[in-house]
Amino acid sequence: MLYTLTEKPNTMDFENAKAQMRKGVLEFCILSILSKNDAYATDILNTLKKSELIVVEGTLYPLLSRQKNAGLLSYRWEESTQGPPRKYYALTDKGKEALHELESSWKELIEAVDSIIHSN
Amino acid sequence: MKKTFSVNLGNRVYNIDDDAYMRLKEYLDRIESYFSDEKEREDIINDIEMRLSELFSERLTASRQVITLADVDDSIRIMGDPSEIGGVKGKSETFKSHERYGGRRRLYRDPDNRVFGGVCGGLGAYLDVDPVIIRIILVVLFFAFGVGLLVYLIMWIVVPEAKTTAQKLEMRGDPVNASNIGNFFREEFDSVKNSFKRKK
Repeated sequence: MLYTLTEKPNTMDFENAKAQMRKGVLEFCILSILSKNDAYATDILNTLKKSELIVVEGTLYPLLSRQKNAGLLSYRWEESTQGPPRKYYALTDKGKEALHELESSWKELIEAVDSIIHSN
Repeated sequence: MKKTFSVNLGNRVYNIDDDAYMRLKEYLDRIESYFSDEKEREDIINDIEMRLSELFSERLTASRQVITLADVDDSIRIMGDPSEIGGVKGKSETFKSHERYGGRRRLYRDPDNRVFGGVCGGLGAYLDVDPVIIRIILVVLFFAFGVGLLVYLIMWIVVPEAKTTAQKLEMRGDPVNASNIGNFFREEFDSVKNSFKRKK
């Protein structure tokens, strides 16, 4: 039947949507973590891993680099008691603004999605 | 016994086995090829090297001073494949087609799998065929046309033996496809030509 053929779910697109969603949420969480304290990459990783938001560590670095290049983050080198100096990231003013915007759109999204899911 | 290299990773020095070094270098190269923007790539590679360095240092103790292949593999698993790191920017597909895992496969004589010089063992590893089949073909060629022995002797002389672990990895590296074979013979031809020139 032609109908069932077109209804066949496309798993690739679904994976892509999930990955996009996770990436958006990750960017939001990175800003949120840095709004509390300046942190170096491994601190951020540990927080994200504790809440099982991140599967492989490598995912973090392109996001940090992109946010830094977009002017949301700045970094400085700090001496460490264990090993070489660490790269500490901090929110810039632009980053704080972006975080506020993301926070409010996150709340809107949750309410909107909730109202749709629970209306059935 | 294994050969080791010393590498500077994230401003720390590590002694690393040669097979582990190959794997690590190949991994970092693959990440590098994933990001086209130069500024972004430099940041990412630096950060990842720093983190790998941290992961390595956690694994070393006073009685364990060398980074092994298992250490590198575990760390790569924690860090993730370049396709996962790169996310869904769409670049992943275009890069996958001409980028292969494990580096290029090379033809060596296999000292661990040999009757005389390891030519058939090496050819078997190169072509993903059981060496026994190649030996049978060679014997048939010898009786049918008398060329089998000559081919074998020439290959014994020309093809290098896989001595180090790294070379053995290379021997079993990538699956061979038509374009690889073409490249392989072109490069081998060039290197033979050059070695003749040097001898003159």
